[in-house]
Amino acid sequence: MRVYGSKELTADVLGGDLCIGCGACVELCPYFRNHRGRTVQLFKCDLEQGRCYVACPKAEVDLDELSHLYWNEPYQGTPIGKYEKAFASRASDRMPAGRFQGGGTVSALLFQAMKQGLIERAVLTGQDQGGPRPIIATTPGEIISCAGSKFGAAPTLTALNRAVAEGCRNLGVVGTPCQVTAIAKIRSNPMEIDDFEDAVSLVIGLFCNWALDQRSLRAFLTTRLDISRVKSMDIPPPPANTLVVELDGETIEFPLDEIRSFIPESCGFCPDMTSEWADLSVGMFEGRPGWNTLLVRTERGRELVKSAEAAGLLKTQPMPEENLEHLKGAAADKKRRAFQAMDHKGILNSCDEGVHALMRVGQDVANKIIRE
Amino acid sequence: MSTIDEGRSGEIRFLQGNEAIARGALEAGIKVAAAYPGTPSSEIPERLAEVAAEQGLYMEWSVNEKVALEVAAAASLAGLRSLSAMKQVGVNVASDFLLPLAQYGTRAGMVLVTCEDPGALSSANEGDSRQYARMMEFPLVEPGDFQEAKDITKWAFELSEELRNVVMVRSVTRMSHASGNVVLGDIPKSEVVARFNYEGSPFGQMEGVIDSAPPLAAYYHRRQQEKLKRAAEIFEDSPFNAYSGPDYPELLIITSSICHLYCKEAIHVLGISDRVGLLKLGTTWPLPARLLEKHLGKSDRVLVVEDLLPFLEDNIKVMAAELGQKIGFKRFYGKKDGSLPSVDELNPDLVEAALTKILGVEGPAGPEEYRKQMEEVVKIGAPARMMTFCPGCPHRASFWSIHNALTLDGRKGFACGDIGCYALGTTAVGFETLKTVHAMGSGAGLASGFGQFKPFGFNQPVVAVCGDSTFFHAVMPALVNAVHLQSNIILVILDNGGTAMTGFQPHPGVAVKAIGKESSAIDMADVCRGIGAEVKVCDPFDLEQTQANLLEMIEGEKGAKVLVLRQSCALSPEKKHKKMFDMSVDQTLCLGDACGCNRLCTRIFRCPGLVWDKQNKKARIDSVLCVGCGVCASICPRGAIKKEEAV
Amino acid sequence: MGKTTLIQDPFNLIITGVGGQGNVLASKVLANMLVNKGLQVTVGETFGASQRGGSVMSHMRISGVSGWSPQIPKGRAHMIIALEPIEALRVLSIYGNPETDAVVNSRPVYPVGVISGEQEYPELEKISQWLEEFSRNHWILPATDEAVKLGAPILGNIILIGALAGIGVLPVEREGFAKVISKIMPGGKLEINLEAFDIGREMVNGLHPAA
Repeated sequence: MRVYGSKELTADVLGGDLCIGCGACVELCPYFRNHRGRTVQLFKCDLEQGRCYVACPKAEVDLDELSHLYWNEPYQGTPIGKYEKAFASRASDRMPAGRFQGGGTVSALLFQAMKQGLIERAVLTGQDQGGPRPIIATTPGEIISCAGSKFGAAPTLTALNRAVAEGCRNLGVVGTPCQVTAIAKIRSNPMEIDDFEDAVSLVIGLFCNWALDQRSLRAFLTTRLDISRVKSMDIPPPPANTLVVELDGETIEFPLDEIRSFIPESCGFCPDMTSEWADLSVGMFEGRPGWNTLLVRTERGRELVKSAEAAGLLKTQPMPEENLEHLKGAAADKKRRAFQAMDHKGILNSCDEGVHALMRVGQDVANKIIRE
Repeated sequence: MSTIDEGRSGEIRFLQGNEAIARGALEAGIKVAAAYPGTPSSEIPERLAEVAAEQGLYMEWSVNEKVALEVAAAASLAGLRSLSAMKQVGVNVASDFLLPLAQYGTRAGMVLVTCEDPGALSSANEGDSRQYARMMEFPLVEPGDFQEAKDITKWAFELSEELRNVVMVRSVTRMSHASGNVVLGDIPKSEVVARFNYEGSPFGQMEGVIDSAPPLAAYYHRRQQEKLKRAAEIFEDSPFNAYSGPDYPELLIITSSICHLYCKEAIHVLGISDRVGLLKLGTTWPLPARLLEKHLGKSDRVLVVEDLLPFLEDNIKVMAAELGQKIGFKRFYGKKDGSLPSVDELNPDLVEAALTKILGVEGPAGPEEYRKQMEEVVKIGAPARMMTFCPGCPHRASFWSIHNALTLDGRKGFACGDIGCYALGTTAVGFETLKTVHAMGSGAGLASGFGQFKPFGFNQPVVAVCGDSTFFHAVMPALVNAVHLQSNIILVILDNGGTAMTGFQPHPGVAVKAIGKESSAIDMADVCRGIGAEVKVCDPFDLEQTQANLLEMIEGEKGAKVLVLRQSCALSPEKKHKKMFDMSVDQTLCLGDACGCNRLCTRIFRCPGLVWDKQNKKARIDSVLCVGCGVCASICPRGAIKKEEAV
Repeated sequence: MGKTTLIQDPFNLIITGVGGQGNVLASKVLANMLVNKGLQVTVGETFGASQRGGSVMSHMRISGVSGWSPQIPKGRAHMIIALEPIEALRVLSIYGNPETDAVVNSRPVYPVGVISGEQEYPELEKISQWLEEFSRNHWILPATDEAVKLGAPILGNIILIGALAGIGVLPVEREGFAKVISKIMPGGKLEINLEAFDIGREMVNGLHPAA
């Protein structure tokens, strides 16, 4: 995997409007910071290669290398990536109540992971008056308080970097596909650092089609409501075309068309709808409110689901084929659109001198996806 | 400690140009001096302040040069001989008062000393203030060496009383900050009772009111021009205009000020004193016509040597044109024809080069080969010294926070600054935070403007940065403007407890006066609140708090906000030689140039107290240079920089 | 009054260093000593903004005949006293010639660019070689190190004045020094300044100027 330094990161990603604000580069060093959703480089660093570039999911992501690391094979380009099994799932009655967006699957899995010692702390996304906030949760109560979807892109991985710098290991991370990709890149250790330690022992990925720029969303909402009263947000599945904001005592809806301009351009280059590099991926279950779609990808993920069920925290059912096909269809669309967009912009498998790619993959696989 | 009032008449002292000027003022019986600090003039009022009690003088550091000139004018009106000293840009500030002052005239002798800075050695520009004499019609004199610095200043008071107008004495850095042998004169003892006599006729000079209603303005102006004519007459016989050389020189050099010594040196080195005449003028406005006619008539070629603008050159050419019928056509050399450079300061070598070219002479050979080789040595062996903030300077910490707050905000915000040590905020040592530097207080004025441009789509946050001294000097009106007109201004006042750049003189925010007496300090935070701004005060050494305050202000609601960053200058008396903390670097924790730090402290923060230890590839503290402010401990990403309370 | 004769008239001496090393005071002390001998001295200084970490130079013109320009013409310095090693090189490159002598303090003051790792500072041995090549006589003296032993690093400048006295190119001696110091410095400082002066003078008496 090609690795460059902060200069290239700022030029290609921050300057090229590719930054998604995932926080992967933030607090690895004193130079990158995220403030209210925007990542900036405070000072110049002249190192030719840096861990910032390694971590960035929008810079030289070599899908074949990641696939070899995870699955011992080149990247296939299937719609929802490699997985063992698909379920419909929900937190069961033993789980304390929380503001679960869907089924509470993520919270239940984390509960179990922490209880059994698979993870010591969880890197999650919480929310306060200022917007989404990276959180390091150390107690079940803190896990529950982070339940609920956040639609503003949050620099959650800042908390991961912070925890690692403090010496924490055995961390669980819940992230969007871009954040999960960042963790995969970090794990591949492309700079071949001798004493590299993988501090993450569990990755739960979320489904995501696009995120919203925090600052634009906030500016939009502040002129229309009292942002301190916001309890949660939701984007119901089609045919609904709205952003639903729940405040204390009332619900306000906004047409999605007014919000779409807040989608970062970078989301258009993301081929991953279901967090393909996670142990477990969780999303909504269209048509079944109160349930999640759960994809089990790794052995570790499979074992955790089993123990969560055994502990009475999680309930699973097989996922109907029809729903799975529907999910794959949507994921394939996103992948194709993304590959086409990257190709068009010249950031897929770039080979010109000094031009860096967002993504690299076998050209035959790329062609197949683009032409589908 | 020797003071300028020591020494009897006839004694030889080694005096700095500024000391000589101050001594000259004492020998003229000066009673009042008012000034604003400005390099290279500051020593004049400082030396006078040192002897004020002994000599029964009043000296003050005024809030700005205009007020200083007004204070000196008040003294003149009250019958007290007075002096005001300032650097070239200070005269610009004072000029609004200078015009009506020169129009009406003065009573007791009044001298305005301007100290210019050719080459901008300690300035942001190469301004020339001699033009004021011509433009505002009052006499200008220029000492040619250190003896004259004293004698001409003393004489300027007599001239001022003879003419009843202000006299400008002009010096430059190479006169003010250079030193030479001076024979002293007497310091008179005089008793004066100060009184402003406003009774009597307004047409009188020593009586009556001072007004500028239409008929009076014309009257005063005519009277003013008569004074100039009288001055020109007096100048014809002035001993400060001197000629040396052959009766009919091949080339006539006309010069003034310290350039006189450069010419003398160049003539000596070339050995052409028998071919070249040197006319040194000490009285340069108005020009003595008959004297010039005499010398211009005896040579066809004239070289005018002066620093800064071709003021003398142009005026002499005008006079030559007027005298044309009598003296004939002259070939002029100087700045206009490129014989001398039009920017930067002059020196003997440049005059030598001009003379070589004009006369076709060859100077003695210089060590050309040596110089070439040494230049190569210097390239690798003598790394250049860039200007920096002193170790422990609060500005380094302030700019760190301002820069970071603006960058985190992410809307391409910027800072506008003004004059002081913190003007270095445009460079790497100030993290390139400042994007404009013009004049005293101008950052606030610019910010007041920028804060009104939202209707034009302007959305960049703007921070005005000023010092505590510039706040009182020039920023207050801009803040009033911003508040009154509801401009979104954020003003950061870097309050380090003194006018540091020029030598740490006091100002209204400091509880002490020039003559050492305690005074009441004016609280600038209260002033800002009184004007109507929202004010916070914090310690710039507390990086976290400062940045938080700034972000809040930058992101906040509309309105004028002021953040006073209060921390003493590292060179202030209370801080010097006292360490707050003992600093050290734990090299086992230090990441050095590895990813994760890459020498943040030595490469970016750049305090001279932090040294990059090339051998160990870690940072370390230079305990001689470090003053123990403790700020660097806050920036280390690893906590490798340790601070312990100093004993 | 008997005129003191100079080996050169004007004798051109440059004292150079970094802001804060006592450059200005050194030139003031020396100038006063020489004026007391009936000589005419002109000193031109560059300070002000240069104090904030920059190079400082004092040009001294010493003459029995008249006052001279406060800037020495290029290539015409007779003697350089450098409070800092690379400043000696810098000054020599503009104002030096093969016959210029140099008295140089051994203690480096690193430019900010060197401290931050961007520039290189040459080894003292290399500086010594260059001084050997580009000056007539040169002395490298541990002035600051000795001053530190005295308890005041700033006295490096006084030690070098003492060295100048020891070298003997100018009419500079102990008594004249004491007289000037008593006048210029606040009370109680005479002793330690004389000690520093003596140390400097001793330093060159033992040392043969290189070639």
